[in-house]
Amino acid sequence: MSITFKNVAHTYNEGSPFSYAALKNINLNIPEGKVTAVIGETGSGKTTLVQHLNALLLPSEGELEVLGKNIVAKEKPKNLKALRKQVGLVFQFPEYQLFEETIAKDIAFGPKNFGASEEEALEVVKKVINVVGLDESYLERSPFDLSGGQKRRIAIAGILAMDPGVLVLDEPTAGLDPQGAKDMMELFLRMNREFHKTVLIVTHDMEHVLHYCDEVIVVKDGQIEKQCDVKEFFRSVALLKELRINPPAIIRLREELIAQGFHIASSILDLDELAQAVAKEVRSHE
Amino acid sequence: MNNIALGRYLPLTSIIHNMDPRAKIGAMLLMMVAIFIPAGYTGYIIIGIAVVLTALLAKLKLSFLWRAMKPMLFMLSFLLIINLLVVRSGDVLITIGSWNIYTDALTQTLYIVIRLALMIMITTILTATTKPLELTLGIEDLLKPFKVIGVPAHDIAMMISIALRFIPTLIEETQRIMKAQASRGVDMENGKLMEKVKAILSLIVPLFVSAFQRAEELAYAMEARGYIPSRPRTRYKQLKMHGKDVALLLLSVLILVGMIVLSMTDLGFF
Repeated sequence: MSITFKNVAHTYNEGSPFSYAALKNINLNIPEGKVTAVIGETGSGKTTLVQHLNALLLPSEGELEVLGKNIVAKEKPKNLKALRKQVGLVFQFPEYQLFEETIAKDIAFGPKNFGASEEEALEVVKKVINVVGLDESYLERSPFDLSGGQKRRIAIAGILAMDPGVLVLDEPTAGLDPQGAKDMMELFLRMNREFHKTVLIVTHDMEHVLHYCDEVIVVKDGQIEKQCDVKEFFRSVALLKELRINPPAIIRLREELIAQGFHIASSILDLDELAQAVAKEVRSHE
Repeated sequence: MNNIALGRYLPLTSIIHNMDPRAKIGAMLLMMVAIFIPAGYTGYIIIGIAVVLTALLAKLKLSFLWRAMKPMLFMLSFLLIINLLVVRSGDVLITIGSWNIYTDALTQTLYIVIRLALMIMITTILTATTKPLELTLGIEDLLKPFKVIGVPAHDIAMMISIALRFIPTLIEETQRIMKAQASRGVDMENGKLMEKVKAILSLIVPLFVSAFQRAEELAYAMEARGYIPSRPRTRYKQLKMHGKDVALLLLSVLILVGMIVLSMTDLGFF
């Protein structure tokens, strides 16, 4: 049971003068139970890639397997609803999908679509509102009265309420202040560590990739450029440079120190470790 | 979405593309009037030839005009059926069971079909050869004389150009929200009536919310840049009538007069 892409390609507006190949021959295995980051430049195909996971987009070629369900090119997938329940997809700026009169109703919308009863849905709503860092006093308010950040939490709660095994987030922190973004990333990390969900995050923020993710997938021009462990990814600065990625602050500091003549292992990714290594180096010269 | 031919601008270079939008709109209006003058088949043949020649001059493929007309096919067949049921004059053509089909039903339907087809072709040529922005400039200029009686020409033109500008944005937004709600288990196609209503509501409400928000932001952005609709404004693009524009208008007037003459003599009906 995992997520596997086999020779998947996706072309928008196939067969028309506007046809555009967004994905080309994707082979990919996304590990279960981990937090995986999907990175790449704007227009590289990240969003197209993740929209295949719950069959919002179907492959033009190839096939993919998501949690035991097969999606084959040019075939209407069976069990579409079961698949959508299993893979919760949070869009960019999800606050724009709220529509109900009360927050409770909006969060319950997903579960009820997937067949939950009124009582079951209400129970789930009470649970997830706390998970996203708001409390039950919000439930009877209108979602349109909230601030942008709170709206986004409600929208994410609406997806969490479906209790999906896989949580896919398309740039979930875009437009949030640093503290809001940090809280958001910690929420996703908790979804993984505590509730054992497979989490996939599309992001541009390398700090987030370093601190919250286990795996990295780099998409470039509709192809998978690289897939590896986060620690390994940030070890080779040459690769980052080649991919035109601005490394996180801690890596830049480490590289600067090495360039200035410090003998520091390039596997260090943590501020404390780096401080200790520098202290050790300084002491050895005294 | 990308296959719609009706109302779509085609960026080509032709003599028709380069004409003044005011002349094109004027010619369109004249031709519309001409179509409604009962000048018989002779008249329609003349207008038809003129329209096809204009399309060819504009480098438009006739298949493009055909595609623009396709959405109307449903309405046309509907018209045919109604006419067959209602019209009971002329000779009996065929008898199906106890129902008679009269010749006038067919001829009247044919007239309507020809008129509609010609009108769609003319408007399609106009929109295919004129940039939306030029079109609104033309409309603004043509509305100017009506300012005397209080028609806010500039405001109308600005509204039209903003509306045109945001059509693709709204289409994109609709597709995005549909996908987002589909991820939450909404099925737009299947389901009971109540479920369908709910599904459409989950699309309409966010769409309205974001459209209003966008409108508000745009209004602020325009005001911040000192936009006041009632003030006189200069234009970056100046419209100028050339010889070919005058020729187009004269030809249209000629066709219109021709139609009137044809309708008054018996020549038109054969």
